[in-house]
Formats: sequence, structure tokens, C-alpha cells
Amino acid sequence: MSISTSPAPPRTVTQATGNGPPVRHDPPIIVFENVSKTYGNGAPAVQDVSFTVRPRDFVFVVGASGAGKSTIIRLLIREETASKGHVIVEGQDLARLRHRHLPRLRRKMGIVFQDFKLLPNLTVAQNVAFAIQVTDPGRSHLKEKVGEALYIVGLEDKLNNFPTELSGGEQQRVAIARALIHRPRIFLADEPTGNLDPDAGWGIVQLLLQINHRGATVVMATHNREVVDLSRRRVLAMEGGQLIRDEQEGQYLKEGEAIL
Amino acid sequence: MNPIPALRFVVRVALQNIVRNRGIAFASLLTVTLTLLGAGAAVAVVSALDGVLHQEETQASVLKVFMADHVSYASILNLQYNLSSEPSVLKASFENKDQAAKQAASGLGLGNALKILQQTGGGNPLPASINLHLRNIGAVSAINNQVSTSPLLYPGPHPTDYNKDVIPRLERYIFAAQLGGAIMVAVVGAVALVIITISVRTAAFVRRQEIEIMKLVGATDWFVRWPFLIEGVIVGVLSALLASAVLVGIGLLFGSGGNLALGIGLRFAGLVVLGLIAGGAVLGSFGSFVGIRRSLAT
Ligand SMILES: Nc1ncnc2c1ncn2[C@@H]1O[C@H](COP(=O)(O)OP(=O)(O)OP(=O)(O)O)[C@@H](O)[C@H]1O
Ligand SMILES: [Mg+2]
Repeated sequence: MSISTSPAPPRTVTQATGNGPPVRHDPPIIVFENVSKTYGNGAPAVQDVSFTVRPRDFVFVVGASGAGKSTIIRLLIREETASKGHVIVEGQDLARLRHRHLPRLRRKMGIVFQDFKLLPNLTVAQNVAFAIQVTDPGRSHLKEKVGEALYIVGLEDKLNNFPTELSGGEQQRVAIARALIHRPRIFLADEPTGNLDPDAGWGIVQLLLQINHRGATVVMATHNREVVDLSRRRVLAMEGGQLIRDEQEGQYLKEGEAIL
Repeated sequence: MNPIPALRFVVRVALQNIVRNRGIAFASLLTVTLTLLGAGAAVAVVSALDGVLHQEETQASVLKVFMADHVSYASILNLQYNLSSEPSVLKASFENKDQAAKQAASGLGLGNALKILQQTGGGNPLPASINLHLRNIGAVSAINNQVSTSPLLYPGPHPTDYNKDVIPRLERYIFAAQLGGAIMVAVVGAVALVIITISVRTAAFVRRQEIEIMKLVGATDWFVRWPFLIEGVIVGVLSALLASAVLVGIGLLFGSGGNLALGIGLRFAGLVVLGLIAGGAVLGSFGSFVGIRRSLAT
């Protein structure tokens, strides 16, 4: 280890743009650096993918079935590790993250999936509280925190219902409330609208946009074309494991691209 | 982490696991009880056998040192004193010619022959002896070598007497009994372990969704593991208590005079019960640890 004589470089750089005031750029919260992932001995599910996500970004990851969207989410929560390259979250290379520090990473993240993953024998409030009970039992003001999370997703009046008594959209909202309970800085969603009708799906996307507005970085994998085109947010388009497009205020499809 | 709500959560989930999967939990309780019963019975039998063999062993470790007829009583006393101060000698007692004759007459069909010999002036052909009770079988040949060259001893090819054959035979019996007991305990232990592992693996499979969510929201491995470990310990300890109740019940039924069956003392029985409880707890927690490992892999 060497002793540095000069002060550490600033964590935030200011960049001048062509016209207008300088734009502040926070250091990236997520970095993919030439990441490849091969399951077993098959073809690579993700191949040489590089991108960065800055804090408070909202990113859609789009692509056809099998393009590698879920793999990117699984790499981010370190359910899988990269076969090549580096996945870096908040400055931490996930390949070097020790297994026993995995819970710390997961508590920084909110995660929701297409299939909600609610426990059917627990009420709405119990499902949300579960995330705290198994990570920080004895945390004070549990009821208030659960109430607050359910208020954000608009389900404060369904506290004592069971998941089977809710619509799909409402169930996904419960999953989002549970994911919010640790106040995550990063929110990941893998096909959150996949099981929902267009209206309910759009409601969920609105909610994610609102969560993003409150300060969380959001990465959402989807093949819901309408949602992407209406939202006008950054799009990472995947095809056969490769990143073929990275566009601010992007569209689901670009002219000339095959129907995904 | 606050321990009290954590403990409440862990115990609640453990009890729920048992109640919800009561079929497999009952099966594992029953089989673990049976295996612990086997282990307890094996320990009891080996211990009882060991006691019997030990008794045999002390009998077998009597060494007769025959005295020549001309030896003075003072020299005999002197030799007896010297031998009794040997560390391996428990007791050294003198048996004179008359006692030897009486002993022989009572034990064997030689009574009449001896009587005739004495009445016809033939005298008593049996030598006097110092009878040594040794602490253990192993000391017999050492003492034998030490005394057999003494000029005080009965002349002839057999100045001393002990049953050479019975000693290694008894040692083999003891070894076989201990080995058999150990193998039986090991086998039933392995069976119990496999059953608990299967039962916990089933509980973990039933709860796979819950475990998945726990890992997703950032629960530690230990937090996931604890309820299953406690479940294993509960099943193991309950099985041990059941097995102990059955064993002690049978022991009381066939026991007598403050002892259980096979002459097993209450103190020893208490130790066996404690051992079964400890064994059940260890089997339960270890089986759970193995059973839950696969669920924690990713
Ligand atoms: N656990 C796995 N083992 C082996 N191959 C896998 C595994 N998971 C994914 N794959 C393969 O990797 C490729 C990318 O899968 P991935 O799940 O990332 O796609 P996706 O874009 O999420 O698709 P979908 O829209 O259908 O969810 C696919 O070819 C898939 O078959
Ligand atoms: Mg997918």
C-alpha cells in the first residue's frame, strides 16, 4: 500500500457542455465493464456489455426473450457472478464481494419480479414487515414504516388483506412496498408488468418513476413496448446477449431494428 | 441485531415447520427415537456385558504360587508380604495344604481319592500356595516370570498355576463387545442423521419461497439457518426424551433392588439419558445444518 501525498481526487466532477450551464456528474452508481456471462457451457447469455448508470438515472433494459435482460439483473444482485469483466455497484466490484457481505448489498437494493414473490399465508402488512423482521428484528416503529411504505404505493387500506384477495397490480404494489422498506438507493425490476394488463402495468411504471423521482436509481428490464415509448427514458437495448443501443430518452425500437 | 425478537422469530418458524410438516416431522421423530433407542440399548448391553466380563476378568486373574513342602512358614510369610506390596497385586492370601485339599475335594470328584491317600499314610499330595488376586489380567505373566525362579517354589514343571487360555479369550470378548456396540451406535447414528437431514431438507423445500425472499431482502445465512437448526434440535431432544422414557421404563420393569435391568445403576442410567439428549441435539443440529446447506448455496 502506498501513501498518497496529494489529496484524493474529488468524487464529483463538473463537466462543461457545449451550451448552457455546466452539468454536475455524480460518480456512477452502477458500472458494467466488458461483462460476459456464460451459464454452464452454453452460449454466452451476456457478451462484452459495458455501460454506466449514474445516481437517480432511470434505465429500461429492453430486448427479445432470451436477450439477456434478466441476466443483467441477476448480475446486479449477485445472484450470478460475471464470467468476464467487472460489475461494480457503488464502487464495489461484486466479484470481490465476500459471500457474508451479500446481505449488505441486498439491503441497499429494492428488487421486484414479474411473479411478485409474496408469501400467500401472510397479510399485506405482514408481507411488507417480513423484509424487516428477517434482517433487523426488533427495529422500532415497524408499524409506522410498513404503513408509510404501503401509503407510497397507495395500499394503506389493504393492510389486512391476503395477497389472493388483491388484483395483480395491487400485488405488485405490495412487492414494491416491501422492496422500499429498506429505503434502497437502487431499485431493480425484472419484467414488473409482465403479468399485468396494460392499465395496471402503466400504474406500476408510474410508481417506479415516482420512486425514481424520490431519489432512487431504477433499472427496469421489460419488453413492454408501450411503457418504454411513453416514458421517454434511457434505453439499453439487448440482442443475443449484446448491448446494441444505449440511448437517452430512447424508444423501444429504432428504425431499421428487427421486431424485438 | 436485537436478540429477543430474533429469537421469537426463529422459534416461531421452527415450531411452524414442525406443525406444518407434521407428517415428516413425526416420521423423523419416530425414526430418530428408534435409532436413539438402539444406541441407548447398545450402550446398556455393552456396559452390562463389560461388567460381567470385568467380574470374570478378576476371577481369571488369580495366580497360584505353589510352595515347596520344606519351606518354613516364616519364608512363606516373607514372600507373601513382598508380593502383596507389588502395585499390580490386589490381595495375597495363603492357602495351606489342608485348605488346598478341602478346596480340591469340594470342587472336584477327587474327595474320595484324597481321603484314601491320607488314610493309607500316603499324606496330602497337594502343595500349599500363595493365591494372588491381581488388578488386571495383563499383570499375570509379569508376576509369574518374577516368582517362578524362586527356590521356595514347588519343584516341577508347574510351579505356578493360572488359566493361560482364558485370558486372551476374555480380552477378545471384551474387544468384540465394545467394537460391536460402537459399530451399532455409529450405524444408527448415521441413519438418524440421514433422516433428520431429509426432514429438514423437506421443511426447507416447503419454505423455499420464503428462503428466496429472505435472501433477496438481505437476511444473513445464519438468520435463514437458525429456525431449521432449532427445528432439528427440538426433534432430536424430543426423540431422546422418548427413547429415554422407553429405556428407563423397560429397565425399571425388569430391574430389582435399586438397580435397573442387567444390573445397571441409576447413576449410569442418568448419564445415558444425558448422553442421549446431547446426542439427539447434536444429531438434530448437524442434520439440519447439512439439510439447509443446499438452500443457502446461491
Ligand atoms: N440458469 C441458467 N442456466 C442456463 N442458461 C440460462 C440460465 N438463465 C438464463 N439462461 C440462458 O441465458 C440467455 C439469457 O437469459 P435471460 O433470462 O437473461 O433472458 P431474458 O432477456 O431475461 O429473457 P426473457 O425476456 O424471456 O425473460 C437465454 O438464452 C437463457 O436460455
Ligand atoms: Mg427475463
